[in-house]
Amino acid sequence: MKWRIIGLEKHDAYFNMAIDEVLMEGIRGGTSPPTIRFYGWSPSAVSIGRFQSMEEEVDVEKCREIGVDYVRRITGGGAVYHDTAGEVTYSIAGSESEFPKGIRESYAYICRYVINGLAGLGIDSEFAPINDIIHKGKKISGSAQTRRGGVLLQHGTVLYSLDVRRMFSVLKVSKEKISDKQIRAAEERVTSVSQIKDVSINGLYSALLGAFTEDKEHSFGIWSKEETAAAEKLRIRVYGTRRWNFNR
Amino acid sequence: MQASARYKEPGQKLVQARIEYDSEIRAVEILGDFFIYPEEAISLIEKSLLGMRVSSSKDELAERVRKAASENGIEMIGVTPEGIATAVYTAMIA
Repeated sequence: MKWRIIGLEKHDAYFNMAIDEVLMEGIRGGTSPPTIRFYGWSPSAVSIGRFQSMEEEVDVEKCREIGVDYVRRITGGGAVYHDTAGEVTYSIAGSESEFPKGIRESYAYICRYVINGLAGLGIDSEFAPINDIIHKGKKISGSAQTRRGGVLLQHGTVLYSLDVRRMFSVLKVSKEKISDKQIRAAEERVTSVSQIKDVSINGLYSALLGAFTEDKEHSFGIWSKEETAAAEKLRIRVYGTRRWNFNR
Repeated sequence: MQASARYKEPGQKLVQARIEYDSEIRAVEILGDFFIYPEEAISLIEKSLLGMRVSSSKDELAERVRKAASENGIEMIGVTPEGIATAVYTAMIA
């Protein structure tokens, strides 16, 4: 099995979500190879989980005011602020047979790549089920997975730097969630690579790239014209629409 | 009547129920940061709760969700039938 690697690139939220779905469809139909991609968000964006309410999770007015995109993901999980300079995001998509059968096990399996990448930078971290990676008890990475038609896609983000004030200006953090974790300040729940190590965002990307690819036959590639065209269509039809983004 | 309630089961994700009801549940929407596989199947879980009487117990609500999940091969991660039932029940008695 040879994997295609799409190196770090930046797109807006709608393309980022659309190309992931296109990739799954392409792998299912045999027109896209199994792929690992690294990307960022330009402009900054908030993504919410499949089952969340945009209006309850996101200060949409504030997003409009400061030019932050907002999009519903294909995957479950929680709301995430993706700062344009503050994170490296990955997606890995391939046949389900490439991964452990169980969903919980496959989260752990794929998150291991992130943990190994961080270890390469000298950052100790551990998997915190269901879908988080923590460093000294603070979240540094979160992931979400979906499966359809025999294809598994997991995407996740590794925090490079953190502008907490900006993050909480666009996210509406629930009191229940904070109280359950017995943490008074929401800011204390998360950390980032640059707070722990003096490394550039490209250094983080290189470490993740190395960890994701070290056990795989792979080569660098680009999106096909068909893939980008399909993603543009999907942006117009789904991810850029109010009907999708506000459907709960 | 319309009502909404949130519930955070220890060790699980947040679940919220939005319901419309009179003597029975007329509409249900289940929200939260959990995972359901396949994702589209959340509508089957929601549908399983329609028509339940407002006097239903948490156990009765949970049983409906459990049955819908098992009959349709739905996998729930970060949320349980009991968690969904508790959110719905709490919304009804609020």
